[in-house]
Amino acid sequence: MNTYTFLLGGVLPYLALLVFVVGLAYRFYVWFKTPQPAKVTLYPWPEGSMLKNIVGEVLFFPGLFKGDRVLWTFSWVFHASLALVFVGHCRVFSGLLDRLLLGLGVSAAGITWMSSTLGGAAGIVMAATAVLLIGRRLAVQRAREISVFADYFALLLLVAIIVTGDVMRFGTHFELNETRVWAASLLAFKPVVPKNPVFLTHLALALVLVMFIPFSKILHFGGIFFTQALMHRR
Amino acid sequence: MSHREAVLKSIQACDSVKALKLYMETCAKCGTCAEVCPIYFGRPEQKYNPAFRSDVIRRIYKKHHTVAGKLLGPLVGAADLREEDLPAWVDHFYSCSGCRRCATYCPFGIDNSVITRKGRALLDSIGLTPKRLKDVINISLKTGNTDGAPPVALTEAVNFLQEEMQEETGQDVKIPVDQVGAEMFFVPPSGDVLVNPEAIMGIAKVLHKLGVSWTMSTNYFDGANYGLFTGDDKAMKDDNKAYVEEAKRLQCKTMLMGECGHAYRVMKFMMEKARWWGELPFTITNVMLYTAAKVRDGAIKLDKDRNPDAVTYHDPCNFGRSCGITEEPRQIMRAACRDYREMTPGGAENWCCGGGGGLSAMDEIKEFRMTVSGVKKVEQIRQTGAKFVAAPCSNCKRQIQQLTEHHRLDVKIGGLHDVVSNAIVL
Repeated sequence: MNTYTFLLGGVLPYLALLVFVVGLAYRFYVWFKTPQPAKVTLYPWPEGSMLKNIVGEVLFFPGLFKGDRVLWTFSWVFHASLALVFVGHCRVFSGLLDRLLLGLGVSAAGITWMSSTLGGAAGIVMAATAVLLIGRRLAVQRAREISVFADYFALLLLVAIIVTGDVMRFGTHFELNETRVWAASLLAFKPVVPKNPVFLTHLALALVLVMFIPFSKILHFGGIFFTQALMHRR
Repeated sequence: MSHREAVLKSIQACDSVKALKLYMETCAKCGTCAEVCPIYFGRPEQKYNPAFRSDVIRRIYKKHHTVAGKLLGPLVGAADLREEDLPAWVDHFYSCSGCRRCATYCPFGIDNSVITRKGRALLDSIGLTPKRLKDVINISLKTGNTDGAPPVALTEAVNFLQEEMQEETGQDVKIPVDQVGAEMFFVPPSGDVLVNPEAIMGIAKVLHKLGVSWTMSTNYFDGANYGLFTGDDKAMKDDNKAYVEEAKRLQCKTMLMGECGHAYRVMKFMMEKARWWGELPFTITNVMLYTAAKVRDGAIKLDKDRNPDAVTYHDPCNFGRSCGITEEPRQIMRAACRDYREMTPGGAENWCCGGGGGLSAMDEIKEFRMTVSGVKKVEQIRQTGAKFVAAPCSNCKRQIQQLTEHHRLDVKIGGLHDVVSNAIVL
């Protein structure tokens, strides 16, 4: 383990987490405390509870569904596979999902099968839809003419992370257990960093993303709760 | 204060309004707003893209108030203010009709009309509001109506309409004026008094039939409030206050707002909701809600055969998206007309006429309204095949009237109570 890999796998994760948590907390706190003097009322008011409606907006993008069906398809499939992959990645740090599935009667082999099949498929689909989103941004005038470097950078960074992830799954075959050892060593504050170069690349890119999120448009995943709450407040 | 300082200060103020702050920081640049925008539909150019228009302010906000913008500048779409750009901002912010259709479809619910109004407020603070609109505001503050008509204009119009109705119906349908203690104080747009008075006849007949005590005011017969359009909050509130005071003076129980969407929005959804003037001794409703309820419960009978032609209903944006009044006018249309045809899409998803946000009053941009912002509305009206479009809004009426002339549509335009005036059984 040389100095660079140690910095990357043994130091940067802490820093990235700190930047992410503090940055996110700060942004949310400021949004939360900023006053709204007038109500932004937009009809039709949906029936039912505000919470339910906002969750519905966040999960299914119904406005976008009505406004731009093609983008909705790319976007929804992209975000759904991203969510699936995110849940899968939690297995690196926690045995909770495994225990939950075992409790539901899924065998250990079944979990591995789900991971490789579902996770693998999600990885491929996510890469494909991310590329489609880049293609759309380039091809569709109304998106292209309002795009700047950061809009492409966010997508390109995601594609790079997804591709390195897919390479690990389908190519060099990097084992979950090795990442679990690494994660456990981080949690014990005695970092031991794996040497797999694809893993290290994947990790480096992901950490850049994590630190980038609080200051970038990717924070729209947090902003949406606030903007939709404004719209749904009666 | 220099213009630069004034503008930067105004942009800084985005930090103290939740909606603006979120809209400055949350846009994902997906372009959906452009897909559903009537202006962009009419001419798909960058400068008419709602996100691009909002970026006029957003890029400066980013430059001065976000970490990424300060560090990375143009890479994240941040740029400093260039004073020489300011005159072009007038075109930017006065080529948005504030229809809020973008907010309906934006996955984040970003309401670009809020940013447009911010842009206009900022222009107002440095004296760049278009002269026509500035004049309308000053005239309204001085005379109580946006046409600058003297009180005698109302009494003359009222006398004329009463004679008309006497002749037409053989009944003594009154339009009471300045009656202290009347149950309802009726506030139309002045356009309905001076230009398109058929709706007022319809409303007078409804109130006559029901035997309600009501009144108009010779000094305050125009709910229109252009401070909403120019972003001038002080003018908006001053203009509004005069009407609230008049309602108190007349001791009415209900302020009955006429066929003017933005007037009702300011009165009901801004003034009353935010309690600009504290507790009110009267309630506020809209005449379309009122008539529809009376039609539903059978107190008002309408004879469809008196409106035999194909008709359609245009949803003014301020009634549809901002006040949620979409179903009631349709109930009235269906009850009053034999051949009612729906516009597609209708209701809160209907397209703007292209004259919203004060644009309709600006003759200097008529070319733009006819060939860009109003194109979609022409297409929608054509598709219905209707011969009459009911639009309960003076600005929509003016815009659609001009569109029908420019695009040679064989269509008449009027208010909603125009068809009631024809069909009501007295």
